[in-house]
Amino acid sequence: METEQALVPHRGVPRTPDGADAGPPRPGPERVGAFLAVLTERPVSLYAAAVLRIGYGFLYLVFLLREFPHRDEIWGPGSPWTPELARQLFDQTGWAGILTLSDSRPYFETCYALALVTSALFMLGWRTRAVSVLFAVVVASFHTRAIFMTDGGDNLILLMALYLTLTACGRRWSLDARRTRRRASAGKGESGSTDSGADDLRHQLATSRRTLTAVLHNCGMFVIAAQVCFLYGSAGLYKVQGGSWGNGTALHYVLNLDLFRPWPELSLLADEHDVLIAVACYLTVLVQVAFPFVLFGRLKYPVLTVLLGMHLGIAVLMGLPLFSGAMIIADAAFLPDRFYRSLGRLRQRTGAEETGAPSHGERALVPPQSAPAGRGSSAG
Amino acid sequence: MREARTESPGGAATLPRQGSSKPPPLLLRAGTNAAVALCLATALVHVLLVFLHVAPPNPLSRQYSRQVNAWVFPLFEQNWRLFAPDPESVNRQISARTLHTAPDGTVHVIGWFDLSGVDNSAVRHDVFPSHTAQNTLRRAWSSYLETHGGDDRPRSERALMMQKYLTDIAADRITGHRGGTFESASCG
Repeated sequence: METEQALVPHRGVPRTPDGADAGPPRPGPERVGAFLAVLTERPVSLYAAAVLRIGYGFLYLVFLLREFPHRDEIWGPGSPWTPELARQLFDQTGWAGILTLSDSRPYFETCYALALVTSALFMLGWRTRAVSVLFAVVVASFHTRAIFMTDGGDNLILLMALYLTLTACGRRWSLDARRTRRRASAGKGESGSTDSGADDLRHQLATSRRTLTAVLHNCGMFVIAAQVCFLYGSAGLYKVQGGSWGNGTALHYVLNLDLFRPWPELSLLADEHDVLIAVACYLTVLVQVAFPFVLFGRLKYPVLTVLLGMHLGIAVLMGLPLFSGAMIIADAAFLPDRFYRSLGRLRQRTGAEETGAPSHGERALVPPQSAPAGRGSSAG
Repeated sequence: MREARTESPGGAATLPRQGSSKPPPLLLRAGTNAAVALCLATALVHVLLVFLHVAPPNPLSRQYSRQVNAWVFPLFEQNWRLFAPDPESVNRQISARTLHTAPDGTVHVIGWFDLSGVDNSAVRHDVFPSHTAQNTLRRAWSSYLETHGGDDRPRSERALMMQKYLTDIAADRITGHRGGTFESASCG
């Protein structure tokens, strides 16, 4: 049952903030009270939020660097989707973005540099709340400027960038976390105020702010979880409608698309195994449709593992590392905090052994790059 | 669980939890509660509207299509029909040719240039193929087909925009690969 705490605060058994399990059935009002207590006092899945931040920041940085030679063709004034066409489309759809504000080359290069810096800072978690808004603006601007060159991966990154502005994704594994920890250990407390009346009000305002931050974060994480469920659910349901997924030949066609076949020899090799292809077809549809339903039990771990394998396969075989990376990071949001904590401890222990550095206690900074490293290699 | 309460020393969280002896002012409490309710309601409505947007068309999404579209576009637009209902069963070969009018007034049509071939060779043996190879032409072409009917006639402003986009792509590629001067390009 403890898996429920991972992400979706609305479902499953809510836990009271003091860590006591809500346990066996309770009367309704009490349950609602416990739910509200979690919602307003405890930001859930802070590590998962940090993984999303690091993952998407890193992914977008890699994407921008990869497309550096093509930047003008995709987003710049020299793109076949000319600035006039983009502005015309914006007029029709009501979109907006920073890239269409000027057609000058230096302006574009400045925006590109800004996007690179923003992605890096977002990944590192520096002044996270403000930078997360900037990151969302950058991603939305680049996305809408080249809307006809985007695919599912870009779409998911945009959605996540928007949702992450709501979350407290800078609380873990970030420069912000390191700064607050240092400040705390330096002993710069809030003591020393004199006016007790003003002090009271300040405390109350701080409590209010904490409540709102927690609620916003929890709602954001809930929306992220729901979004990923919708993604898989609808991807699965649309596949069910197609005959080729039903008779197990869809992947044969996919493997023969030139644009998604960077290693033709490998694709041909996979294509020779009819049975394997059919099994993979069924497994894909089954796992996608089942995804929203397995999240509330232990079954989610094997399903997430299958999805990881699937996306690694897509990344290599179909040459879609950006899309696969975005999906893998989204899946990682469903892992519970205790998984990430043990990962952090493990990392810290091996790190301490290697460098001989003294341990900083349980929550010492884990270098921000550590978490996405494995993921990054799949995206690279 | 425990760490959620002890976390983030410094900032707001270092303030003593039950530091205040007096209950918070009514206005502040009411405002906070209202904001909490608003957050919850917005999250639930958002999730519902996004669901109606991604789900296959159904009576509910048809009835509320105006509200759904108003909320979802442009930022939350999404489409997860990934190789569904069926993946494409053919590799499209898109070519373009150019027209050049010489100074003496004679018109030359310069032969077909394989636009798709440029993409295919760019994708081959690339660990991280560029969007310019995988998406640009593929999506421009499918959008062109969507906006032009079966008789290849532009019926909307969007169709004209896609036409311009496609010929721009063709012109850029032909200039980059084959060179030569031309005044117009057409795809097929």
